Amino acid sequence: MYLKELTELDGVSGDEGRVRDFIKEKIESKVDSVKVDVLGNLIAFKKGTKSNRKFVLAAHMDEVGFMVTNVEDDGTLSFAPVGGVDPRVIVGKHVRIKGEVPGVIGYKAIHLQKRNEILESPKYENLRINIGASSKDEATQKVEIGDYVSFATDFRCENSRATGKAFDDRAGCAVLMEIIERSERFEDDLYFAFLVQEETGLRGSAVLFEQLQPNLALVIEGTTAGDDPGLPEHQWATHLGDGPAITFMHRGYVVNKKIYESILQVAQKYDIKHQPKRRTAGGTDAARLAKTGGGVPAGVISVPARYIHSPLSVIDVDDFKNTVSLVGKILEEGEGFAR
Amino acid sequence: MLKCLSGVDGPSGYEDEALKLIEEKIKPYADVLKTSRLNTLIALKRGEGTKKLGIFAHVDELGFVVAKVEERGFIRLEPIGGVDPKVVLSQRIKIFTKQGVVSGVVGFLPPHLQKEDQRGKVPSFDDIFVDVSCSSLGEHVSVGDICVIEGECTELGSKVSGKALDNRASCAALILAAQNLQAIKNRADVYFIFSSQEEIAGPGAVSVAYELGLDEAIVVDVTHGNEKIPQFPQIKISEGPALAVGPVINREFYKALSDVAKRNGVKVQLEPTPGRSGTDTDEVQITGSGIKTALVSIPLMYMHTPVEVADPRDIEETARLIALASTI
Repeated sequence: MYLKELTELDGVSGDEGRVRDFIKEKIESKVDSVKVDVLGNLIAFKKGTKSNRKFVLAAHMDEVGFMVTNVEDDGTLSFAPVGGVDPRVIVGKHVRIKGEVPGVIGYKAIHLQKRNEILESPKYENLRINIGASSKDEATQKVEIGDYVSFATDFRCENSRATGKAFDDRAGCAVLMEIIERSERFEDDLYFAFLVQEETGLRGSAVLFEQLQPNLALVIEGTTAGDDPGLPEHQWATHLGDGPAITFMHRGYVVNKKIYESILQVAQKYDIKHQPKRRTAGGTDAARLAKTGGGVPAGVISVPARYIHSPLSVIDVDDFKNTVSLVGKILEEGEGFAR
Repeated sequence: MLKCLSGVDGPSGYEDEALKLIEEKIKPYADVLKTSRLNTLIALKRGEGTKKLGIFAHVDELGFVVAKVEERGFIRLEPIGGVDPKVVLSQRIKIFTKQGVVSGVVGFLPPHLQKEDQRGKVPSFDDIFVDVSCSSLGEHVSVGDICVIEGECTELGSKVSGKALDNRASCAALILAAQNLQAIKNRADVYFIFSSQEEIAGPGAVSVAYELGLDEAIVVDVTHGNEKIPQFPQIKISEGPALAVGPVINREFYKALSDVAKRNGVKVQLEPTPGRSGTDTDEVQITGSGIKTALVSIPLMYMHTPVEVADPRDIEETARLIALASTI
């Protein structure tokens, strides 16, 4: 399981290099070929025993984070979000700039805030990253405008729950890596696509069709749970511990019926714990795949995660393992899947 | 040393672990060590007995107490001291249960699932929740357990960032000052006082000030560094300790401290304090038949967040100043 290594690497959209290098090194010897395309997607190929279909398994490497937008005279850094990061979850956090320079996001002391300010959301324009520099000159020796910033969150695993950052979508990357670890060949030609820039508008997946002309795809995600006191029970999207979530529809795409039903059939056939995703909020690369070129019919299977798009999210390790099992069984079905 | 001191946990009323560490650190430099009934540690360094000088630093930090245990592994907190709810979201929380330490996660809904009317508002402690499903001891959490935000203390260039630097930075200064007194000869008998329960304006410092019958007291605490506060001079980090002036400070004692700083090349900043200081100084001054007080503050950025920032050089200069004060 590569969840620890993968989630402790920093790879904000547009800066996926560290994650890509790690994955590439681990999988290179276990597939027939790997390549990195123009956008930075890592595509691994494993030939099938029948090779009648091209089947893409996709997960995105990027995570939400920030970019340094200015170095101020006092040595602090202004920054803007890359992808959707709510400013309410970032105050009082340790961050890493370009994977190495430590910094913190501070906030005006509570003593100096007006009463009505205390429960007001912080605004990006008022927040700064402090790297301990006392002047612009000192700061620019370590960082520059355009540098990427990630949360400095460690990975932990206890009580069969894992906590850390970037489960969206390193959980998906980890699922693909587990599948690659299996030595057998399946009937379809398999393309493992580790994608860039999902969080900034499903961009990496846009160039897959032209390169591969796939027949079908499965997008493996880390998706919203919401099964916590922040929402009443009828609004929960997925439940931790109930297995992989199978998406029926999300923004911009109703999942191909044949694929959706086939996923459910495989899960039922092998008695793998699973759940339907109960809400249609959010979107994945499946929407982009359906819209590019002649369109690729895709399914979406997700590891439920609480508190995503924050420095600290939670998944259930059994959900992860069940996702690996389900995807593995789907591949074992060979040409019978979604036929 | 600062990293160690920031690393131990000790919310108001539960300072034992922090006090134990401080006791270890100051022991080599103290003639007598004792702990008061209200959990305040006193380290005496005898001088010529000219007078009794108390140097105070509070040991306690902000924290929480478990207020409610709900179903499915969620709990609710009440703050101990002035905790800004904004800094609590998406943090790891350490909960001290009878069975051991539980590590919980303060959850927050992702943008995808937020409702329009919740955006822009920060939840108060009524709505903040901690997820303890990720801990194997999660079911042992009970109402009344004490908690802190987990915070790693890290170096940021020449500065240090971490939790509880308010007021462990001052604790470090006192320990360093005690060490300095191996070389500098103190005239006054110096009581280094590591007090409890300041963050809730509690009884730690005053009870000891009364018991010891002090002549003079220097309170060492932190002040807002690099903040622009209208009408006030900006206290800057890395520019040395700030000396307070105002009604809660004895004018002559301030003058003497200011002079000794000047003579010895300790760079200090001036902090006008027209009313109460919000530190133990306020109460210590009116203890017993009155004590001559001074307030020395270490500039600190982002006070009461888990990423407070201080400059260790300011702490060293503070230590030098308070050690020199015992020669007056």
